[in-house]
Amino acid sequence: MQSRKRAPERVDVCIVGAGASGGTAAKVLTEAGLKVVALERGPWLRNEHFSGDELKYLNRNYVWPDPKLKPRTYRPNEETETQVVQFSPTPQGVGGGTIHWGGIVPRMTLDDFRLRSLHGEVPGSSLVDWPIGYWDLEPYYTRVEWELGTSGLAGANPWEAPRTAGYPTPPVKLSHYGRIFAQAMARMGHNTFPIPQAMVTEPYNGRKPFPYTGFWQQYPDPVGAKSSAANTFIPDALATGRLDLRPDSYVTQITVHPDGRAKGVVYRDADGDEFEQEADVVILGAGGIETARLLHLSANAQFPDGLANSSGQVGRNCTFHEYLFAIGLFDKEVVDPLYPWAGHYMNVMSFDFYQTDYDRGHLLGTLIFASMLGHPINWTFPGRPTWGQAAKDTDRDFFNHSMKLGVMVQDLPVESNLVDLDDDVKDAWGLPVARITHTPHENDYAHAKWQVDKNVEILEVAGASKVIPVHMDKITGNCCHEMGTARMGDDAATSVVNKWCQTHDIPNLYVFDGSFFPTSTGVNPTLTIMANAWRCSEYIIDVHAKGRTAEAVRGPRDLTTAQI
Amino acid sequence: MASQSQWSIVPIGADDDQTPLFFSEHEWNTVEAATARIIPTDRDPGAREARVIRFLDRFLASIQFIYASADGSGFLQMSGKDAEAWEERIAHRQQVYREGIAEMDDLSEDRFGKPFVELTEQEQDDVLEALSGQPRPGRVSLEPQTLGDGGVGGAPPTNQPVSDEGLGFFEMLVLHTRQGFYADPVYGGNADSIGWRVIGYPGPESLADTVAGRYTTVDYMIPEATWPYAQHPAVQRYGVGQRERLR
Repeated sequence: MQSRKRAPERVDVCIVGAGASGGTAAKVLTEAGLKVVALERGPWLRNEHFSGDELKYLNRNYVWPDPKLKPRTYRPNEETETQVVQFSPTPQGVGGGTIHWGGIVPRMTLDDFRLRSLHGEVPGSSLVDWPIGYWDLEPYYTRVEWELGTSGLAGANPWEAPRTAGYPTPPVKLSHYGRIFAQAMARMGHNTFPIPQAMVTEPYNGRKPFPYTGFWQQYPDPVGAKSSAANTFIPDALATGRLDLRPDSYVTQITVHPDGRAKGVVYRDADGDEFEQEADVVILGAGGIETARLLHLSANAQFPDGLANSSGQVGRNCTFHEYLFAIGLFDKEVVDPLYPWAGHYMNVMSFDFYQTDYDRGHLLGTLIFASMLGHPINWTFPGRPTWGQAAKDTDRDFFNHSMKLGVMVQDLPVESNLVDLDDDVKDAWGLPVARITHTPHENDYAHAKWQVDKNVEILEVAGASKVIPVHMDKITGNCCHEMGTARMGDDAATSVVNKWCQTHDIPNLYVFDGSFFPTSTGVNPTLTIMANAWRCSEYIIDVHAKGRTAEAVRGPRDLTTAQI
Repeated sequence: MASQSQWSIVPIGADDDQTPLFFSEHEWNTVEAATARIIPTDRDPGAREARVIRFLDRFLASIQFIYASADGSGFLQMSGKDAEAWEERIAHRQQVYREGIAEMDDLSEDRFGKPFVELTEQEQDDVLEALSGQPRPGRVSLEPQTLGDGGVGGAPPTNQPVSDEGLGFFEMLVLHTRQGFYADPVYGGNADSIGWRVIGYPGPESLADTVAGRYTTVDYMIPEATWPYAQHPAVQRYGVGQRERLR
């Protein structure tokens, strides 16, 4: 569709997606003097658009993609029929996933970067080491934590890698469900610690502290205490005057010059008018699913299998961190109320089961944390009576006497697990949707089951009268952690981007979102996504902006083995 | 086409009008009676007192009452593809309800020779049980190795969004009744926060309070406790595993 609107001017950098990675890149690049356009598919909702309204956010998809407009399909393997599902409903809008995130922001551990070296080849898994190490990221972890005003308590998690600075705001306050978890763990001889949160707990950089409304996980925050990209990096970038932020702009294709370099992107604005935005550098920050989809959608005569896909790895090895838990029901005649809606959904964490213990018969482990079971509408557990007197009694007896103990599955990469296009299902704009083909590795089932059972034991020690395990059935994307679809690696034959998140095939095309994760790690990915986006943005500033080569700037030394 | 960020606020309330917007009078009375069996009145009020029927009627009337504005002063005027998707969705739900109500009356006539609304509570439960296709849910027991028989219409055991997509009439009615009992009162149900009071949830007095930062749950936390928590006196006031010790 041709428009009478003016064609956009060419800029230094075009970012696709104004979320965690795109927001970080926008800040770092504009503050270095580059001219940046950020194209965001969704709207730019401000904090005054948000409220503590369970129905609106959790049941009517005010910030989650409407499955009628933006469906996805899922199948366990290539032999199975696909089903249309609302898989990984990450918000699309300025701020991206950080609009609704719980903001759990632990750093990766030292071992997370080298699982292949530690454990060798794992049958059925495409396990690899990261081409970078903890000390490549540490300075950026610190910067991001301080930009976000992260709350936490340095030193409280004995499994954490060394850090060069503490947290800028004090840890979140203790809830009763956090309290009873901490007490049970102490009785069992285990450590717990306050969860590092992307939340300001005292006034910070003009932002107000969180008033502990309970409306946090899966809710945007009207007060602005949530350290979303929209509350932190994006305002910084806008303040430079060099960020042109265009919401409601749906990128449908990356265009390529005849010489094989990226030319820009094609997008549609809110009216459906189509434009091409040209740029010296294109950065993808659309999330692990939409970025893989866009690379596939951008296939052309020169790149018939999709862009940056000479390795055939685009979309492969996808990982999603399934969230599982044990649910405890407590006897109100015996145990004090847990008020599970108080605070901010999650409270108190442990890494004591995170490291591999071969005696368990499987690799890896998970972080665990206490949480609420849900606000009144969505509060539930398997087997909850749904209607009649039994249903009413159950709500009344257990709403204040229930909690969850969560497990975030550290899923292994499997090459046949794939995000590609479903040519049979189109979105409301007529384009093929993302299709997720995924079967968990047997180790995922094993370590998830072990940990859910361990959580059952912890809840029993905590005094729960009935404990209900929720084991893994299949992947549902319920964490909205989308990783692995454009793996980072040194070898162009087996990975999509290099250690600077530059695609091996197209030197001015970068992937900054969770797609680059070579392995899922057991920690929530966003802090690492932001830290890495900052690191790689500096590389772009050094290399592209100044016309130098990578080696001249950074030297040939291998950063993987940088001093520890 | 207006972006979602530009949707205007229509200054309208779900309780402005006391008459049905969607249901016929008979349908209104029938569905109200059914909600009163799904969340019955006992020593505490139930769905009838919480005006769940009004919530359902507003939901089914049009796309006017889908999204309350953040401050609760009205409802958002959707536009573009979002509006089209919701119009399609509501039209479908209208059909499910119309057909479901008729089926409920047919079942009632077949079994008891009267429409649903004229049946006794016990007879209504029998009809709902038949409609659901399985025995009515049993009570949750805390005895080991037992769990209530959950019945249909419940949320899935995950933190995934809970959707009414693809549900049959009875499951949909159960889910929507729960929504109407517990959603913010701005949507027309949960009158006087009855639903919240029944279960002991001190929700916000208004949506505007959540926007302005006036609403807090910190009184239900242990703000003075510092790490390591288990050693803090404010924590040690509370027992752990008391049930075990009492035995």
